[in-house]
Amino acid sequence: MTVATTWKQKLAGQVREDWAREIDIFETQIELRKKGKVEEKLFAETRLRRGTYGQRYDNGQRHDGEKTQTLPYPSGELTKGPVTMWDAPGMQRIKIPYGKLTAEQLDTLSELAEEYSDQILHITTRQDIQLHFIHIEDTPDLMRRLAAAGITTREACGNTVRNVTACPYAGVCSTESFDVIPYADALTFFLLGHPDTQDFGRKFKIAFSGCKDEPCGLTNFHDAGAIARTRTVNGEVKRGFEYYVGGGLGAVPYPATLFDEFLPEEELFPITQAVCRVFARLGERDNRARARLKFVVKKLGIEEFKRLVLEERAKLRPDERWTSFLKDLHVTDEKPLKPGSELGSGSYPEGFEAWRKTNVHPQSQKGYSTAKVTLPLGDFTPSQGRAMAELARRFTGDSMRATVEQNMLFRWVSNADLPAFYQELKKVGLGAAGADHITDVTSCPGTDTCKLGISSSRGLATELHKQLSVISDQLDPAAQELHIKCSGCSNSCGQHHVADMGFLGVSRNMNGRRVPHFQLVIGGQYKNNAGSYGLAIGAIPSKHVPKAVKTLTDRFVAEKQDGESFQAFVARIGKKEIRKLVDQLAVIPSYEQDPSYYSDWGDPREYTIGDLGVGECAGEVVPLVQVGLADSERELFEAQLLLDEGSSDSAAARAFSAMVLAAQALTREKNSFLGEGVDEIVSEFRTHYYDTKLFFDPFAGGKFAHYFFRAYEHRGEAGGSKEGAHQLIEEAQLFVEAAHQCYTRIAGALP
Amino acid sequence: MLSERLQLKLYLEPSAHFELEALIPVFHRFIRDQVIKDLLIDVVDYSHVPAGPGVVLIGHAADFYVGALDGAYGLIYSRKRGGPGPDARLEDALRRLINVARLLEQEHGLGWRFKSNELSLRLTDRLHAPNDEATFAATQAEVEALFGRVYGSDIAVERVPAAKEPLSLRIKASSSPSLEALLEKLGGPPEAAS
Repeated sequence: MTVATTWKQKLAGQVREDWAREIDIFETQIELRKKGKVEEKLFAETRLRRGTYGQRYDNGQRHDGEKTQTLPYPSGELTKGPVTMWDAPGMQRIKIPYGKLTAEQLDTLSELAEEYSDQILHITTRQDIQLHFIHIEDTPDLMRRLAAAGITTREACGNTVRNVTACPYAGVCSTESFDVIPYADALTFFLLGHPDTQDFGRKFKIAFSGCKDEPCGLTNFHDAGAIARTRTVNGEVKRGFEYYVGGGLGAVPYPATLFDEFLPEEELFPITQAVCRVFARLGERDNRARARLKFVVKKLGIEEFKRLVLEERAKLRPDERWTSFLKDLHVTDEKPLKPGSELGSGSYPEGFEAWRKTNVHPQSQKGYSTAKVTLPLGDFTPSQGRAMAELARRFTGDSMRATVEQNMLFRWVSNADLPAFYQELKKVGLGAAGADHITDVTSCPGTDTCKLGISSSRGLATELHKQLSVISDQLDPAAQELHIKCSGCSNSCGQHHVADMGFLGVSRNMNGRRVPHFQLVIGGQYKNNAGSYGLAIGAIPSKHVPKAVKTLTDRFVAEKQDGESFQAFVARIGKKEIRKLVDQLAVIPSYEQDPSYYSDWGDPREYTIGDLGVGECAGEVVPLVQVGLADSERELFEAQLLLDEGSSDSAAARAFSAMVLAAQALTREKNSFLGEGVDEIVSEFRTHYYDTKLFFDPFAGGKFAHYFFRAYEHRGEAGGSKEGAHQLIEEAQLFVEAAHQCYTRIAGALP
Repeated sequence: MLSERLQLKLYLEPSAHFELEALIPVFHRFIRDQVIKDLLIDVVDYSHVPAGPGVVLIGHAADFYVGALDGAYGLIYSRKRGGPGPDARLEDALRRLINVARLLEQEHGLGWRFKSNELSLRLTDRLHAPNDEATFAATQAEVEALFGRVYGSDIAVERVPAAKEPLSLRIKASSSPSLEALLEKLGGPPEAAS
């Protein structure tokens, strides 16, 4: 017998032929890149399309709190993308379509985390699994082992159709019109590698929901969102989808627009294919910041967009895959391992009742429940992964779902088994209650591992979890059900726009040093598939955020009216009231009094080393530019209030005014004679900051300046919609943030 | 040792509570001041994960974990790639582990002590070191030879039964030399890992 010395040999015959070939090609590309025979940009796109990302410090530079040090990677100058060192550890994103995992797959993922990563598996806010600190040369074997378990990482990143997500309760939910899983499953593999999805200017995200009112599918912020619907025609129940397009979070969130209130099931695939073709044809290529489908829909208007899609639909060559899956919609059904039962009375394990209250929900099928495993920040260990796989085998017959709240959902738990199921979870440290409640804070990776992170969203989420867990039992039920979500930057991977309290990482210069902050985002709606987006109220120093959460929560509990949601409460008391809290928390001690404010959560390194020439009085002197930036923030806040009052045009005008004030403040640093005229400010800003690229963000380039220029071009246009004003406020917010960052850079305070 | 990837763990003396947070600035300082010669990259805090890796010092060739992955707190040296040839891997790992354990014991703010005679070894390479009897036998012999020489006493090696886990061994020496003495036997603080 020949002993396998490579995973390729060992898994021969166990991997789908086409997937095996793709991985072999990727491995060859790795070798060619090492020999310098593949251009670095091309290699970067190649690996991204296989879900192999860069990570923080992969440019070979790391700030140690005092100075920037070079990381002397052994492969020297070899790169795996522009300014991305070959040996720098990276992140592997693994697409898990609609979050469904089998026990075998979870076993495999656990092995991979154990052998190639840092002993942690991480569930993302889009039902993927991510492994961090992976070496590029380990990725082909990692992919082979995944492929042998029926998982491909193809198109997990890059300008592709990303993981297709769906409600984790699909098929067992009492509010759904029908089970969307067979559709999500078939569409995933129909679009994977499809020629019409290979030439996008940007990514494309799809989500399915079984109903409209609940949050589980979050269809409102997806490029394409499908909500199950039925219609009775001539006595026959027909299935279809309320179909939305052009939603998205990111720096400026756009709610999805209704494309068709009832798209028949036979048309779901061809229409989605046609949408992809229109997106590939008309989506922006040069400016990544405006390349998502939402901008195409916005630019064309939904009627014109729809006309183009239908025109494209008419041209499509019929494909039997559009409908072949409809012949057997039960192919994805799950068979419970055990008969349904009632939960017995008697004594339960300690902690069971609290866990059951928050983590267990009855299924639509009598005698069964879903049970959610609370995973702090979406993290779990390989041993816990194997334990969950065993639970699936023992109790449910293989059903698990990674959820967008970064937890794991088990379905088909026979009710009588719930105590034993809980007991087993407890043994491996997974018996925590509070899933999807206030203590279960969602977060993107932030500064822990993400190259774009500004503040430590995971550090903040950990701290909030810690502090809220202590008091959660005493909290009013309404407060317990609040959602908190944190993002480390404006890209919104933590989905902060749709939380009751969202936090968005930013930084500020204070007392001559850089201080980590979070913008408080209030007013978002999680229900109704993320029905509306919140807006930033103001920036709070990171170390004051827990106090802000406690104060807001206490006030909500004390003052809420019967049945009032947090969103309604905020609308009733008004953002001015919330802003007062933000203002109270804005002040921090000097560095000499308490240096901890100048470090981020979970990271003792100083957030800044900038020597701004702080003398005896420097802490009390506020440069003029900071006064101007503060004015622009105040103006922005006024814009929000006007929007809340329904004055869209005035709100838009005020948002533009905020941009002008920020641009003016910055530009006066270069031209102290700058006047008050808008034309002059725009012109001078362009000369001093745009043409010189001084304003350019290291990652977003000139995107935020474009927001300003566009607002300038369209200023004074009356009759704008509420959505339009909302977007302009978002853009103004980003522009003002960028002005803060720019000022920090030119003042020499940024590391 | 056929497995390039391995994890060697030294257990901490039981204490009322380990403040893992206190380790974070220590590990950051290890990077900043290049306290050990390896290429170190970052510090990650997983202390929110029950029975997790704890606080991790990420390196290029190897990581250091202080957590309770197997239920008991300790320091793990986790070799990921490279390193010396098969005959020297285990000794190299032991030397690097003891060195960092010794440095942590010297951190007065932590107040930690390690049990120098209790270790565990996991071979995190299912391809070259499957969890089977043959791999165990080969590894056991290597462990007994190396640890017998370094500890100068009897060594008990026990296989941890867990089919899906990587091959795991518990190692117990009948003597408890100081970490300094062990490091001296191993040739002193190691050079940079390759």
